[in-house]
Amino acid sequence: MPFKIYKKYVMLLAFTAPALIFYAIFLLIPTISGMYYSFTDWNGLNPNYSFIGLGNFVEALKEDPDFLNSLWFTLKYVLVMIVLQNVLALVLAVLIESRTRTKGFFRTIFFMPNMISTIISAFMWTFVFSSVLPQIAEKTAIAFLGQSWLGDPKVSFFSIIIVSLWNGVGYMMIIYLAALQGVPQSLKEAAIIDGANAFQTLRSVTLPMITHAITICFFLTLNGAFKVYEVVYGLTGGGPGRSTQVITMNIYEEAFSNNFRYGYASAKSLILFAIVLIFTLIQLRVMKKREVEA
Amino acid sequence: MRLKKANSLLVTLILCVGAVVSFFPIYMAVINSFKTQGEMFASFTALPTKLHFENYSQAFHQTHLLNSALNSTIISFIGIGGIVICSALAGYKLSRTRGKMSSAIFFLFVASMLVPFHSIMIPLTRMAKDLSVQGSTYGLALIYIGLGVNMAIFLYHGFVKSIPRELEESAQMDGCNEFQTFFRIIFPLLLPITVTIAILDFLWIWNDFLLPLLMLTDVNHYTLILSTNMLFGEYNKEWSLILAALVLTSIPVILIYSFFQKFIMEGIAEGAIKG
Repeated sequence: MPFKIYKKYVMLLAFTAPALIFYAIFLLIPTISGMYYSFTDWNGLNPNYSFIGLGNFVEALKEDPDFLNSLWFTLKYVLVMIVLQNVLALVLAVLIESRTRTKGFFRTIFFMPNMISTIISAFMWTFVFSSVLPQIAEKTAIAFLGQSWLGDPKVSFFSIIIVSLWNGVGYMMIIYLAALQGVPQSLKEAAIIDGANAFQTLRSVTLPMITHAITICFFLTLNGAFKVYEVVYGLTGGGPGRSTQVITMNIYEEAFSNNFRYGYASAKSLILFAIVLIFTLIQLRVMKKREVEA
Repeated sequence: MRLKKANSLLVTLILCVGAVVSFFPIYMAVINSFKTQGEMFASFTALPTKLHFENYSQAFHQTHLLNSALNSTIISFIGIGGIVICSALAGYKLSRTRGKMSSAIFFLFVASMLVPFHSIMIPLTRMAKDLSVQGSTYGLALIYIGLGVNMAIFLYHGFVKSIPRELEESAQMDGCNEFQTFFRIIFPLLLPITVTIAILDFLWIWNDFLLPLLMLTDVNHYTLILSTNMLFGEYNKEWSLILAALVLTSIPVILIYSFFQKFIMEGIAEGAIKG
């Protein structure tokens, strides 16, 4: 009998070893060593560095206005994206789902931008914002189109949102569409026979039936939005000044382009990790509760 | 009845407007990529009077397109292959084995799905340097395996539960050892989830930007996305050239999308439900 138990563990290790090795080298050890670096003043090169306790964290949260601004900008972005991306994806999914004949066509069109790499999308839109729209404004005298889409921090926030939505809505839409297809037709029909209009049916029958998908899409948007980098890099590069800098950009800059403060940048990324974790746990908790109610 | 017709018309209208917005940047990029710089400034919205393929040939050379596309293909291929094999093995066994060790290993993988890439990019770069895999196409592919196994294991772990145990028991009666059982019986049955994983990972690896940017130093090893990025930096306002490069870079994914559309959409839905 002991031999059998022994064999069970050997087999478990034999099957998991290939994955564990890659995972340990490229994910687990970097995660742990990143945590360690965050308590040091290491610059990434010098073999001599010292342990400075919570110094990096205190500096990041108290004395680094650039970091705090990027954190604030990212939080605003996350919030707006969670609302807009999900509302838009759900609306599109419901509208597409309601038309049997054109379903395939619109699904294809709205999902296509998602296939294009985020950074390429950002470059395409840079062209639209910086050249096409101003020229249209000039020719048609619609002043609104001629505004400084990428140069004015207030406007460029929305430009960043537009491109992010353009790139990301399709993905969420597919998930919502799949969920909508799982709602039994008979339930909707019953609601309509009972006198509910389309909106009431949606609110009282369809939405409760797809709460699971809503939870997932919120989770995906939340996690993706905190990691936003490419869109901003491609559109504004974080500028003008540092007005549209996101947190990931701030970390990248700290570690690779400006200061080579590996330890400090690691502390900032640990703060990012903690924030994402807290937000995710809260979100899942709140939404799971709702799922049970429905 | 009439109200219903008006409603339906409104829905169509909204969808059409949405479709136009959705397609607008791509359309603009395509038509302007065939124009000269002068023609563009006369009007961005007009159709090109004559198709200028020079932009394309220049972009083709400047991005070393064939070479970068080959690099992207190699990285995606090795990355996806490695993720699928490693994760199918691990996901299967973890799902079939009970006990503390099994749960602990599974938890380790799943918990790491919450670690944002940006939280590990600094030590990861360090690690790549130490192992001297930095700068190499193959090294980058190995990193993708390390970063991708957690989600794939999670998906395999869930899927394996739907496969009856009797199948592997009878295979073992017939004299297969555990690995033979896995590769001959189980792995083929995992195909649906394997397709899903391959698609999700392809979209991720092929379109990824930051990791190649951190890892690759030599232009000859650049991925397609990285080459285009470099071109954008160098020829910042030469839109005719840049747009041609953007269109060229997007053609492979659009082609793959049109061939595998059904699988891609099913894969995303499947991945989300299992996730």
